[in-house]
Amino acid sequence: MGVKSMKVYVTGMGVMSSLGNGVHSMFQSLLENKSGIKHFPDWQKYNGLHTHLAAPVPEYDITQIPRAARRTMSRMSEMAVLATLEALHQAKLKIGDHQYTPRIAICMGSTTGSPEMMEAHFKKMFDRGGPEGQLGTTFFKVMNHTIASNVASALGFYGPALGISSACATSSQAMILGWELLQTGLYDIVIAGGADELHYTGAAVFDIVQAASRGYNDRPNKASRPFDQARDGLVISEGAAVLILESEKSVLNREAKKLAEFRGGMYMCDGTHMSQPQKLSMVQTMKEALSRAELTAADVDYVNAHATATIQGDQEEAKAIAELVGNNVPVSSLKGHFGHSLAACGAIEAIASIKMMHENTLISTRNLDEVDPECAGILHLRENKKMSIKTVLSNNFAFGGINSSLLLSSIHE
Amino acid sequence: MNNEKVVAKVNDVMRRGFEIPADKLIPSATLFEDLGLDSLDAVDMLVHLEENIGVKVDGEQIMKVRTLQDIYTLVENLAAEPGAHIKLDI
Repeated sequence: MGVKSMKVYVTGMGVMSSLGNGVHSMFQSLLENKSGIKHFPDWQKYNGLHTHLAAPVPEYDITQIPRAARRTMSRMSEMAVLATLEALHQAKLKIGDHQYTPRIAICMGSTTGSPEMMEAHFKKMFDRGGPEGQLGTTFFKVMNHTIASNVASALGFYGPALGISSACATSSQAMILGWELLQTGLYDIVIAGGADELHYTGAAVFDIVQAASRGYNDRPNKASRPFDQARDGLVISEGAAVLILESEKSVLNREAKKLAEFRGGMYMCDGTHMSQPQKLSMVQTMKEALSRAELTAADVDYVNAHATATIQGDQEEAKAIAELVGNNVPVSSLKGHFGHSLAACGAIEAIASIKMMHENTLISTRNLDEVDPECAGILHLRENKKMSIKTVLSNNFAFGGINSSLLLSSIHE
Repeated sequence: MNNEKVVAKVNDVMRRGFEIPADKLIPSATLFEDLGLDSLDAVDMLVHLEENIGVKVDGEQIMKVRTLQDIYTLVENLAAEPGAHIKLDI
């Protein structure tokens, strides 16, 4: 970067995922090699939809969010609020209650506003030939910044709030942007993350472009097979994940517990193709992330791949990782466990990576029975491995040519 | 004396639409101060009353409402209009 960067730490984490709600529950499921993917037979009714698999978040208690706040929330905002509360609790941070906090920012988003509410809104609009009968609260569930505003409203947060949206790279971008904001010295804390809710239209996006799994509808446990020879596409999921990013100065002032160091990251648009991932731009993004983090490829102990189990995406990423770190650094993708939670996945995977560092255990790629030769050349983790690691490189890539990479390091005090 | 069926149906709408506990649903309860609703809820109340009871309340009418009793009266008046078909089953 040219200038020595300010240290940034993760001091809180919260998650709602197909593998469990709460960080402990989620990571325990990973250790047990569980899958959150289920068969959705009801989806057979949708004309032209071939994928009937999805990974839903388990039921959760919404009563801890007051009705007045919840009335403008769809599932994605509810999950984002619950993840935020967990993260704030772990960080021992009390914000909100309408305290004026201009040095604390909320930075989170989703792929779109609530797809379920959008469908209901427009169906009624078309059925009635206009807006008659529309609820006043619907717009706040479908607007693009619904997550950021609903989290702020639920907390009584009175400070800067940004809605980030870049589909599958959303929460990665939110975290990296949070790191950048902290570098400016204008902020002390950034609450960063993302969320998305399950809806058949989300699955349809990938199904239409032949990127969703179709061949495992009768075997959900075998579906989502990152890097595997028999992979046939991703499985849609949902969830929310939030990290508290905090400047070193704030950590010292608050005597906050450091969970990991957020070393830095990079997000870039390759400007080449909306849906086809490019190895070259992935490599460049990872290199820029390393440079910003003042690290080299030799410092990377583990790569948490984006690998969603699509044919081309996994190949390009495997080749990109091979070019960067060769065949000596363990690599795994967690999409075989979680499915693909879109805007939430970057933050979920960052939290999982931090837990791997805490527990000295690397989580393997689920359903990787036979490595696709086109995905060879990297050190695939085929089973969980006890290993002490210092630094993780985590990738997330999105439609629109968006690539993001970030680096996390363990705390040794 | 209010129509008992109207009271029961309106209370049901308030419970299900706005999660208001049954013991708070007394005729003198003010919507904003006692029941914790606000202008955004008032807009949604129009839709809930129309979809659940079948009465068409316009925005001006709902803005004049202060208490639960006012809603009972409003619904009863609309139900008494010629050609009104209201649903009072719960």
